[in-house]
Order: sequence, then structure tokens, then C-alpha cells
Amino acid sequence: MFQQSFALLIIAFFLTRLFYQRQKNQIARNESIFWLIFWLIAALAIIFIKTIDKAVAAIGFSGSGINFLFYTAVMILFYFIFKMRLRLVKIEKNITDITREVALKK
Amino acid sequence: MKIFCVIPAYNEAKNIVAIIDRGKPLVDSLVIVDDHSSDDTFVLAKNTGTPTLHHIINRGQGAALQTGNDYALLHGADIIVHFDADGQFLAEEIKDVVKPILDNQADIVFGSRFLGKKSNLPRFKKNIIMPLAKLINRIFFGINLTDPQNGFRAMSAKVAREIRIENDQMAHCNEILIKAFKNKYRIQEVPITVIYHEFGQKFSGGFRIIKDLIYKKITR
Repeated sequence: MFQQSFALLIIAFFLTRLFYQRQKNQIARNESIFWLIFWLIAALAIIFIKTIDKAVAAIGFSGSGINFLFYTAVMILFYFIFKMRLRLVKIEKNITDITREVALKK
Repeated sequence: MKIFCVIPAYNEAKNIVAIIDRGKPLVDSLVIVDDHSSDDTFVLAKNTGTPTLHHIINRGQGAALQTGNDYALLHGADIIVHFDADGQFLAEEIKDVVKPILDNQADIVFGSRFLGKKSNLPRFKKNIIMPLAKLINRIFFGINLTDPQNGFRAMSAKVAREIRIENDQMAHCNEILIKAFKNKYRIQEVPITVIYHEFGQKFSGGFRIIKDLIYKKITR
């Protein structure tokens, strides 16, 4: 119970930070919506952890619900890193194009 | 036939003037692409009166070669030669690399260190890195050349227009080969000499090339 309350407090902290950043226009609308949904899902997962435990066991996983959530989070993080890397490659390409354009025009 | 020689240069203040002096009389036009050197490469090259392009940000050898190709094509090149600025290649051999294209026997010509001419290749590179690079090229890309990592090459204007170098760093060597084989160009290898001043590409560089090629494939 204590662990759940502590996790919810952390999420509450991130949510207040999110609202604060949105108010100050430091974060784009779409991105703030994404993070809002992300933290709300995380909060729901913590509140209904027992249900997730049961669901995970029903699917056939030997670990607990929190383990399952942790593994899923790691997978999602890897996916985001991969997406960011691809985006970086595209930005690099744009920088090269601009550099070339300038070199040829001078 | 208008022959252009593209020389990408990064911090080559020591060699650039000598390279220009040797290469200039052997081609119709020479173009230096300074890849944002921190030394005087750009000023020294420009002072020789040779067309010198400047990258405002360092983008890598592949990017510099493509900038040079674009310049050469804009100025009516029929044949484009890629040549290094570090003094490893012999300018006198430009005519050998260009000859198969002039004779209409090839669309793209690659220099090779392993076809008879003597090159003082470091032992580790000769016996470990090069055979490994050859094997990877053969297995994964179906490229069967004696020296797939050689930067001394010549191509017709048609080939230069169709092959756009997208790998900014060192993977451009493989990229050009892959595209040349894929487009079924007439490919030839000619013996060239390489003079080694230092080791050149490191072992880790090989992994970087593979990584760059994979990312380029994914982001396409």
C-alpha cells in the first residue's frame, strides 16, 4: 500500500510539472497530451495492480504484474530510443543538405 | 571529355597544395571540398586559384564527395574522379582509372591495391581487416571486388547523376559499390598504388560503417 501511494505521489509530481510546463508554453500541446495519457495510464496501472497481477497470471506469465509492467516499459523505451535515432538520422541529412546548398551557392 | 577531380579535404593543410599542384595538370578541372577544417586547408586551397567549396559544418567524407559531384555535374563534367587529399594516392594514376571510361569499357572504375602494384599496406590491415571487409561485402551485398574500401575511383557523369551518396561518413565507399552493382553498371578495377603514412581506417571504423549502412537502409 505504501509503495503504491509513493508511486502515485511521484506521478502526481510529474503531472503538476507537466501542467506547469504547458502553462508556460514550454511544451507543445500534442506532446503534453501524450505525457498526460502516459502518466494517467501509469497511475491506473498502479491503482489496479492486483487486477493486472491476475490478468498477467491468466495469460500465463510466471512473474507478477509489476514485473510485467516493468518489462513492457523497457520495451517501450527501447522503441522510443530507436525512433529518436531514426529522427536524428533525418535531421543529420537535413543539415548535410543545407551545408551542401551553402557550399555550392558561395 | 571533361574530366573533373573531386578532392574532399579535412585538416590537410600539410598536403593540400602539393596534391593540387600534382593533380591540376592531369585533369580538366579540380575541385576541393573543404569539410570545415580547423586548420588552413580552405585558405591554402583557395589561394592556388582552384575552385574550393567550403562546408560550414563538418559533415564527413561522403558528404564532401557528394558536394563535389554536384559541383562537377553543374559545371559540365563528363567523368568525375574521386581522389584523397592525404597524399596516399598517386596523381599520375588518374589516367589509368579514367581510361576504361574513356574507352567506353566501363561506367565506373575502382582502384585496387591488390592487383599487382605495390602498396605498403600495414600487416594487420592487409591480413585481418581487408579480408573481413571483403567477406562482409561478398556475403551481405554480393560485391566481389578485390579492394572494396578503396577511395580512388572514377565514374561517368551518368553514374554520378544516378548514384547519390547518402552516407555522410565512411560508409559511402560501400554505398557506391552497392548502388553500382544494383544498377548493373559496367564495373572495372584497375591497379593503383597506395602509400601509407599512417594506419588509416581503424577496426572500430568498420563497425561504424556497418551500423551506418543499416540505419540508412531503415530510414530510407
